[in-house]
Amino acid sequence: MASQYSSERTWFRTRILTNHFLSSPSQSVSPLESNACLSYSPPELHESYDFYTNEMRKLLDMHNIEDRDWLFGLMRQSKVFNPQEKGGRVYVAPDYNQSMEQQREMTMRRIAYLLERGIFNGWLTGKGLELEMKKFAFLEVVGIFDHSLSVKLGVHFFLWGGAIKFFGTERHHDKWLRDTETYAIKGCFAMSELGHGSNVRGIETVTVYDSKTGEFVINTPCESAQKYWIGGAANHATHTIVFSQLNINGSNEGVHAFIAQIRDADGNICPNIRIADCGHKIGLNGVDNGRIWFNNLRIPRENLLNSVADVSSDGKYLSAIKDPDQRFAAFLAPLTSGRVTIAVSAIYSSKISLATAIRYSLTRRAFSITPNGPEVLLLDYPSHQRRLLPLLAKTYAMSFAGNYLKMIYWKRTPESNKTLHVVSSAFKATLTWHNMRTLQECREACGGQGLKTENRVGHLKSEYDVQTTFEGDNNVLMQQVSKALLAEYVATQKKKKPFKGLGLEHMNEPCPIIPSQLTSTVLRSTQFQIGAFCLRERDLLNRFAAEISQHQAKGESKEYAFILGYQLAEDLGRAFSDRAILQTFMEAEATVSVGPLKNVLSLLRSMYALTCMEEDAAFLRYGYLSTKNAAAVRKEVTKLCSEVRPHALALVSSFGIPDAFLGPIAYNWIDANSWSSVKH
Amino acid sequence: MASCTSASVKAQDDQVLVEETLSARTLILNRPRQLNALSNQMVSRLLELFIAYEEDPNVKLLVLKGNGRAFCAGGDVSAVVRYIREGDWKLGAKFFAKEYILNYVMATYAKPQVSILNGIVMGGGAGASIHGRFRVATENSVFAMPETALGLFPDVGASYFLSRLPRFFGEYVGLTGAKLDGAEMLESGLATHFVPSAKLSLLEEALHKEDSSDPVTISSIIDKYSQQPYLKEQSACLRLDVIDRCFSRRTVEEILSALEREAMNKADAWITTTIQSLKKASPTSLKISLRLIREGRLQGVGQCLVREYRMVCHVMQGKLSKDFFEGCRAILLDKDKNPKWEPSKLELISNSMVEQYFLKVVDEEWEDLKLPARFHLRICCCKALSISF
Repeated sequence: MASQYSSERTWFRTRILTNHFLSSPSQSVSPLESNACLSYSPPELHESYDFYTNEMRKLLDMHNIEDRDWLFGLMRQSKVFNPQEKGGRVYVAPDYNQSMEQQREMTMRRIAYLLERGIFNGWLTGKGLELEMKKFAFLEVVGIFDHSLSVKLGVHFFLWGGAIKFFGTERHHDKWLRDTETYAIKGCFAMSELGHGSNVRGIETVTVYDSKTGEFVINTPCESAQKYWIGGAANHATHTIVFSQLNINGSNEGVHAFIAQIRDADGNICPNIRIADCGHKIGLNGVDNGRIWFNNLRIPRENLLNSVADVSSDGKYLSAIKDPDQRFAAFLAPLTSGRVTIAVSAIYSSKISLATAIRYSLTRRAFSITPNGPEVLLLDYPSHQRRLLPLLAKTYAMSFAGNYLKMIYWKRTPESNKTLHVVSSAFKATLTWHNMRTLQECREACGGQGLKTENRVGHLKSEYDVQTTFEGDNNVLMQQVSKALLAEYVATQKKKKPFKGLGLEHMNEPCPIIPSQLTSTVLRSTQFQIGAFCLRERDLLNRFAAEISQHQAKGESKEYAFILGYQLAEDLGRAFSDRAILQTFMEAEATVSVGPLKNVLSLLRSMYALTCMEEDAAFLRYGYLSTKNAAAVRKEVTKLCSEVRPHALALVSSFGIPDAFLGPIAYNWIDANSWSSVKH
Repeated sequence: MASCTSASVKAQDDQVLVEETLSARTLILNRPRQLNALSNQMVSRLLELFIAYEEDPNVKLLVLKGNGRAFCAGGDVSAVVRYIREGDWKLGAKFFAKEYILNYVMATYAKPQVSILNGIVMGGGAGASIHGRFRVATENSVFAMPETALGLFPDVGASYFLSRLPRFFGEYVGLTGAKLDGAEMLESGLATHFVPSAKLSLLEEALHKEDSSDPVTISSIIDKYSQQPYLKEQSACLRLDVIDRCFSRRTVEEILSALEREAMNKADAWITTTIQSLKKASPTSLKISLRLIREGRLQGVGQCLVREYRMVCHVMQGKLSKDFFEGCRAILLDKDKNPKWEPSKLELISNSMVEQYFLKVVDEEWEDLKLPARFHLRICCCKALSISF
């Protein structure tokens, strides 16, 4: 045996050496071509598809597939989207090697291109669900190309435009919406200040009313009151929404929103306005974030966005909503759309990275397990499967969660606002955290190639990092989730009524019982999975309520008691979010008829549920699972990995991201890196 | 015989002539009176030869050309129409299946194919050449995908190669059926080289002497005889910005109104011609063709052919529309050039009607096109890509 190996080894080495000699550089013809020791084999040649990927894509993208593909095609074909040929394939991505100023300029040129093609038609002036869905689809597709581009659009249409639409009244709509849609004006949204971010009610900008002239006067009273991180303010925006305390006759009426012009049509900064740049950032340099100071800026009375409250010409404060808390809540409503789009776009970013890392792992080999044997495909290592496939399952789960979130946003009513607020907070935090984790894992799974900007995965980390912070810091949002659950709990106890809403109805049922013996069949049943998730949520909510009341019994205020209970609050927020996501997965699965597609969905759902159980120490800490149970869960995840492995390519193909939007390592990375592809 | 350096003609199959030289095989489409339109027999023979040569280690290079003033004017549509009239559209389907498989084999071929396009290259002729590695245009080349005027749509893998032309040139060529000359073919990437016809015999001689499958070598040989042709002043290739502004639109209706807006701003014969060709074409064809090209842009050549096969079967089955029969009647048979399309207007064709063409054909015996397993997935046939513009 040994001698046979050694002779094979000799033969192998001789062959390699011969190859090198035969193709000495003095030969005229493409010297490196014939000595290719490795060749690229497209994964499509050896992987099989057990289900229709376009059916799966319909389930994931949910709406406007054809519109999405048109926009993908539009970007792929246009030079403003910076097409680059690598290994015979075209890739589009911004040139991140450009300076910050150049990147900002390109973002605006891309917007102009899309504007001319009618992408934004009806985004603000149109009505109806169909248009709303198309708008979301376009924004998602644009975000797959570049986060800066979608953020820039988000600020202009959703924040500036949304504020006018939701806080403004007819006079504002008539005056501003059409001009916004055509980019005759460019809007931004000045809420955050240097000293106040998540705590909007604490902002320090002050506005008073001058009844002699019928104007509001806006001031930045101190440095911590400068508006900060205002997207669009540094270079392009002509107008802004200003959030400010409104002071009428010496009494503070709380935070209100105003319209102010900050640049003239030629782009010169207006008098009484000072603007500075936030400077280079770790990512998102295509967005011109700036800082604004107001110096006795006078604006007409009509520029108060008056859907919630108004000031009469003689300076009387008028509001239908007497409670300042409720008034303030009404002002935050447009931020919900931001959280919805952020959550959804985070998952598209995860899809880019997983499609890239998994395609690469189906073509890249490393180490042989037999002497002189072929090297093993990365994804055939159980350890590599274990790194990527649970993240793939979670991405699927969160795709369905994103779809559900969009649905409740589109169908929102005044009654559903609370649910929308809680679910959007929970999902925004969970999905963006998941994205950051997925990007890092995929970056590492691509090895050194993951570090190249052209391969996108590594770079996306810095582009998407901001998502865990803007439109509500993730930690703050999750605390709000637990706070809302607690309020629900307290109210139910007080009224002695069953739980209704937020998916808490399971609290009315008997406590789920986890079997002591967890067989594979049990572990993969929805009954067990949802039971375990509900058990965790129920118990944590009970514990959290008990802890808060204990603190209060010791004389702590409600607010401080809540701060002290942060650990359970975090656990509870996660439990709520995981359970809600699992439910959306189960609902999506239920719409699919029996067949290969449903089978693979059920594998992913189990993988999602069991991975969550494995990752959250609460299951063991509070004994929802015994140590024996936990071991069984862990073992099952491994089994699921090997069962999902054959579907890996089909599952990432179902994302429907065209090849031009992934990086060269997702395709023929040998050709893309060959000597002949080097620009000589 | 086989290793003989001088050309020897095998006459056993007169619709496709074969010349054998050292390592090259020259296949000559030989139905000059029908402008070398691809018959069932020709497609079968080509497929057979391509498959055999791929495995034959003595063959390194294929040259494909046409006898007479055409390279190939398309598929033999009149035969297909005959099948359908005789009540058997499935015979037509078989023809298209074989033709598309040939297109697929060419697109994934391990050895270089040099197509000499010294004359008409339309429809099926484009399918038999553009998928190959090298396409040599001359001053006699005339390229077009005229299917929408016939109530059909650009098939033979056109949704793959048209969609990969620079910017929105593919939509323009595919929807209007515009004719391109050799210089335009080179400029747009449909051709990889332009060689004056006077130098073709020298080029062929040089290829016959070559004993390599290496694309770089073959390319450098063709380069020696190549020229940079001049684009005519009225060339569509010099109007990419207008094409971009109009043909990037989401729907056919929007494309037309964008063109009409351009026409209002500036009187221009080219725009008028473009609008007229769109108005003359079958509205159904335009809508399905646009969607076809758009979908094709994001897919591989295999997926494109599978989809085109579904669509061509719908067209032949004639349940969704009879425009193809009407087009053949008006253009090929009665030659009155006045087809009566049904539906007659773009706005009468809903999305869901278009959608029907992309679904499987409901018929017990029908199944999707089965492509052979291939081990060489070459990815993009077009030289120019989006970047050179």
